[in-house]
Amino acid sequence: MIRAYRACRPPLAGGLPFLRRCTTGRVVLCALCLLVGATSRALAQDEAAARGERLYAKYCSNCHGDDLQNNSGVAFDLRRLKADEHARFVNSVLHGKNAMPSWQGVLAPAQLDDLWTYIRAHGYEQ
Amino acid sequence: MKSVFYAALLVAAYPFSAFGQTASDLLNAADTPQSVLTYGISYSQQRFSPLTQINRQTVKRLVPAWSYSMNNNTGEESQPLVYNGVIYITSQNKTVAVDALTGKEIWNTPVDYPPDTTRVVCCGIVNRGAAIYEGKLFRTTLDARVIALDMKTGKQIWSVKSGDAKDGIAMTSAPLIADGVLITGMAGAEYGSRGYVEGYDPNDGKRLWRHYTVPRPGEPGADSWPDHAANASGGSSWTTGSFDPELDLVYWGIGNPAPWNALLRRGDDLYTNSILALRPKTGEMAWYFQTSPNDPFDHDNITSIILADLTINGKPAKVLLQAGRNGFYYVLDRKSGQLIAANPYVKVTWATGVDKETGKPEWTETTKKAIAYTEEIQTWPHITGGTNWYPSSFDPRTATAYVNTTDYGMKYQPDPIDEIKNLKPGDSYRAVKISPIFNADGMRGHLRAIDPLTGKSKWAIPFKSPNWAGTLVTAGGLVFTGELTGEFIAVDSDTGKILWQFQTPSGIIGQPVTWEHDGKQYVTVTSGTGGVYVLKTPDPNLAHVPPGGTLWTFKLIDE
Ligand code: HEC
Repeated sequence: MIRAYRACRPPLAGGLPFLRRCTTGRVVLCALCLLVGATSRALAQDEAAARGERLYAKYCSNCHGDDLQNNSGVAFDLRRLKADEHARFVNSVLHGKNAMPSWQGVLAPAQLDDLWTYIRAHGYEQ
Repeated sequence: MKSVFYAALLVAAYPFSAFGQTASDLLNAADTPQSVLTYGISYSQQRFSPLTQINRQTVKRLVPAWSYSMNNNTGEESQPLVYNGVIYITSQNKTVAVDALTGKEIWNTPVDYPPDTTRVVCCGIVNRGAAIYEGKLFRTTLDARVIALDMKTGKQIWSVKSGDAKDGIAMTSAPLIADGVLITGMAGAEYGSRGYVEGYDPNDGKRLWRHYTVPRPGEPGADSWPDHAANASGGSSWTTGSFDPELDLVYWGIGNPAPWNALLRRGDDLYTNSILALRPKTGEMAWYFQTSPNDPFDHDNITSIILADLTINGKPAKVLLQAGRNGFYYVLDRKSGQLIAANPYVKVTWATGVDKETGKPEWTETTKKAIAYTEEIQTWPHITGGTNWYPSSFDPRTATAYVNTTDYGMKYQPDPIDEIKNLKPGDSYRAVKISPIFNADGMRGHLRAIDPLTGKSKWAIPFKSPNWAGTLVTAGGLVFTGELTGEFIAVDSDTGKILWQFQTPSGIIGQPVTWEHDGKQYVTVTSGTGGVYVLKTPDPNLAHVPPGGTLWTFKLIDE
């Protein structure tokens, strides 16, 4: 299932601040986005998030919860990750932390980006 | 005959009996309710205690004696052992010894493991307990080691690597000491590992035998994997077996085939989802009984195996009882492995029944679809099963089993063949899409008093979240268990009425035990949420249950 992902978000943390203010949803309502020709980028974002969702279901959901819904507090609630915590995310996922496994050698950089896109699309704080 | 056998064991054990219990102590565990010497409380794993001081009348005076921090946030499934005034308990990151009367720590030995270890830990970052024997404590670790510690000091005596995360192997279960051999299982059918049960010499950790649970070409059972015996995988063994010393047989529950998705594995897939009867000294198989052949639903047959003596048609029968994950309650002749009864104890739609002669389930059309096509179907029970790893108990006086059940079904859809044809050990071997179908009444689980021969519940109490804890039954007429919302409860074993409860700081996924010291009865249990249901399944009822492991001991307050 692919949900509505926030269109117009830059692929990773950073990017132009005005792009972050775009509307949630598959349909890009934001005129500014059209102006900068971001529609195709929004679609690419959707695809990345969909790939991220599949990776998440396979590698992460058994500890972090189906569809990111974490009711245990045993593993970190990934929806808490903020836009500026990309470096923390990559570091923890590659090296592990206590019972959190390391994924170096399993997940390629592009897959980490897909996971990040998916997780951030559902973040508590956008 | 029996006494000669016991006497022989006594003689054999005598030289080592200075500290730590001996082989004969273990044989008599059911008759020494002061202690808790082995997983399951006795070799029969009935989890029945003859103690009566805490009973239906007095339980209202049950209060905490002490509590102890496990300093671990990942969940406490471990069964405490109690010996000579000391409680021994494990978690994934440590083993501890605690003074049973005061709750003061005696020693604490951390467990460390490499950072890639938990990649192949599918179902809760936990450990389920230890074994003790002749002065040593034995446990397994997530990075698939078996270790021995000195019971007095906690110092490591030996450590043996059994398996590797790269092959999809982890270890979570308590070892069993049977006939002087340390026997252990492993986990990892969700990562394509090849399952086994192993025997070690408790003295030095030398491996005595390894019994693989899935065959290679040319081995017995290989023709039950027509598509690929060369890569047959699954059949993990991640809970602790029971032991009949007279028959000299250990009974071990064997788990699901891998991957769950059955599109590329026709045949019965022996010896997955089976009960194996093994010789403890050699690992040789005396018989097997398969509950779910060619299983697409992860009906992982690792639920607790209880040994009991029943009267069937007026005749005494030595049986083995198992509330199968596939929803049928099995009663087998434990000498021959012959099926005596198999009846549903929860809602079951994947099979209409079990053939009494062959022991094979009679599949419904939806199950036939699920093994052959990628179409979505609906089926009961969920992959979680009618019950799961948390052990049930059995009152031999009334022949009643006390089982925490999960009561929901699932939508199930296999991924296309492309997703499974190139899998290799260490990958995720699920390859199915699953979503739960909960009952309209909002109740996802029950505590049930079950008649093993009919599967029928004498009573059942509903719970919003399924109980993920073991049960304990006592001659005081009480069943103890815990809720995922933290309540430790005592239930009237005749009526199912909750007589007493105490709110612990986190969810309970542990295994209650009871013991006695200087004429006073105690009850001990862990609190600390975790386990696969809590980690994975969204459950609004658990929104305000924080993690955090603690160990609790209760006693009666004076009148
Ligand atoms: C075996 C269980 C398990 C699996 C599988 C798992 N995690 Fe974790 N994860 C944890 C636990 C436990 C923690 C909390 C670690 C701690 O703080 O002690 C955690 C924490 C994290 C954190 C926060 C670490 C920090 O910086 O505080 C991130 C990010 C994370 N996980 C991402 C992932 C991703 C992405 C995946 C899938 C590729 C994944 N995890 C798979 C158990 C798991």
